[in-house]
Amino acid sequence: MMKDLKAIVKSNAPVAENIFMLTVTLPESVGIIRGGQFVNISTGDGAHLLRRPLGVVKAEGNDITVCYQIKGDGTRNLSTLKDGAELNILLPLGNGFMLDAYKNVAVIGGGVGVFPLIATIREYCNTVNFHSYIGFRNKSAVCLLGELEKSKTLKVVTDDGSYGGRGNAVEAYFADAENIKADAIIACGPPIMLKALKQKLSACGNKIPCFVSLEERMACGLGACLVCVCKKQDGDNARVCKDGPVFDINEVEL
Amino acid sequence: MAKLNVEICGVKLKNPVIAASGTFGFGREYNEVYDISVLGGVSTKGMTLEARSGNPVPRIAEGRSVILNAVGLQNPGVGHFIKHDLEFLKSKGVAVVANVAGKTLDEYGEICARLDGLVDFVELNISCPNVKAGGMAFGIKPESIKEVTRVSKNSLKKTPLMVKLSPNVESIPVNAQAAQSGGADCISLINTLTGMAIDLDARKPVIANNTGGVSGMGIKPVALRMVYEAAHAVDIPVIGMGGIASGTDALEFMLAGASAVQVGTANFTDANAMPRIIREMNDWLDSRKIKDVNEIINTLELN
Repeated sequence: MMKDLKAIVKSNAPVAENIFMLTVTLPESVGIIRGGQFVNISTGDGAHLLRRPLGVVKAEGNDITVCYQIKGDGTRNLSTLKDGAELNILLPLGNGFMLDAYKNVAVIGGGVGVFPLIATIREYCNTVNFHSYIGFRNKSAVCLLGELEKSKTLKVVTDDGSYGGRGNAVEAYFADAENIKADAIIACGPPIMLKALKQKLSACGNKIPCFVSLEERMACGLGACLVCVCKKQDGDNARVCKDGPVFDINEVEL
Repeated sequence: MAKLNVEICGVKLKNPVIAASGTFGFGREYNEVYDISVLGGVSTKGMTLEARSGNPVPRIAEGRSVILNAVGLQNPGVGHFIKHDLEFLKSKGVAVVANVAGKTLDEYGEICARLDGLVDFVELNISCPNVKAGGMAFGIKPESIKEVTRVSKNSLKKTPLMVKLSPNVESIPVNAQAAQSGGADCISLINTLTGMAIDLDARKPVIANNTGGVSGMGIKPVALRMVYEAAHAVDIPVIGMGGIASGTDALEFMLAGASAVQVGTANFTDANAMPRIIREMNDWLDSRKIKDVNEIINTLELN
């Protein structure tokens, strides 16, 4: 059930350059949180009125873990918070990845887009074989590989070749596609990555269902304010926060 | 427990706290967080005759203690509201405020006629800064405010008319009087202040629309001044808004002359903001042994 709660910071530490992992403890349970769902969390600074929508990496009991990249004043302030600090958190939000119908899933992640994919792998690792293709900018951005170990295949690439091979996650997947024969793809990453994935899948005849998690600037986080829309293929708007953030790649314009 | 109910234009509200247009949809989403029947009222997302898809994204940005938005009146059209959302809001026992905008005077008249007798108030949006037609154009000059109010009022035989004023104008008192002389039953203010947020590295405005409406805690002093000016310029009730985030904020607006308040941006910072504000209003009144919130309306003593 969706709740707006006061959570306490349990830990807040860097996992890569400018990327932090934050765990907060909720005062009460909000029930099951699915991989791909997100929270809207305050930055701990009264001057920032908007909360930050962050994908859940892990949910264990009343402890919720998210990761974030320092992008501006708000996330910079968040990164200074010590254990015991209080934050407002609205959760769980959005739809999440639904993989009940699949057995063999390719995971394509770019940069901070890897976070919501990790929770999904955790959720389904007993019923689904995952093959993960993850791209980072460079070695200093590589993080959370331990969390991806439940994947049957794990290939990490970087834009400059400073870790793993040189290349991007989409290319890495397509180089392997014939071997793994995925029955579905899940993906999250920068718009340019998702766009390339969509073009490539379309060129291959769209034979495999593909679900992508989108990112957009948000306000309410729960579907009321219509700030975070994306264009659907049929021309209508969809709310990223409420109708998504996970969409069929063929349903949305990228 | 202090008495919190107020009456505006013959409409009884269980408390003076109304959700501000554009921040609360048609109430369904927030009703998943708490039962919205605790609210005094809900002003709907701004509606037009036909559905509109709004502006491109990004539609939102932040400043210190403020936000900027340019959603651009994305809405499913007034017919969709009447068919799909009105009954839900009415079932919650909240005052239903239908916020509407038109491209032309005729459209204002037509949309008001569609809603007459169905809702508790029609709130005229003549001050949306984020669309080229059907908003701000009508809300700047007193002459056009009077005219759009008159045309809308002509279509409303049963439902009271609330005119929402823009702060981006020469004179609030003059515009408030223009709404009153056009036949407004009450006025609400302030709508957002037009502003800009810039991404320095990109050398571009953050919002796709370039400019956006500024709202949130940071605008409260401006809003209080304007609500005070409006309340002293007209005889009709005033609904105050602009940066209200606590019970004491709301009570300050009532002291300045507002009979009720609207809460917008605070809903984003805390989804439970409005139930909390209602509780805090009651607590302050109790602590000062004031039995009825109506006792404080328009009781500001100037220095």
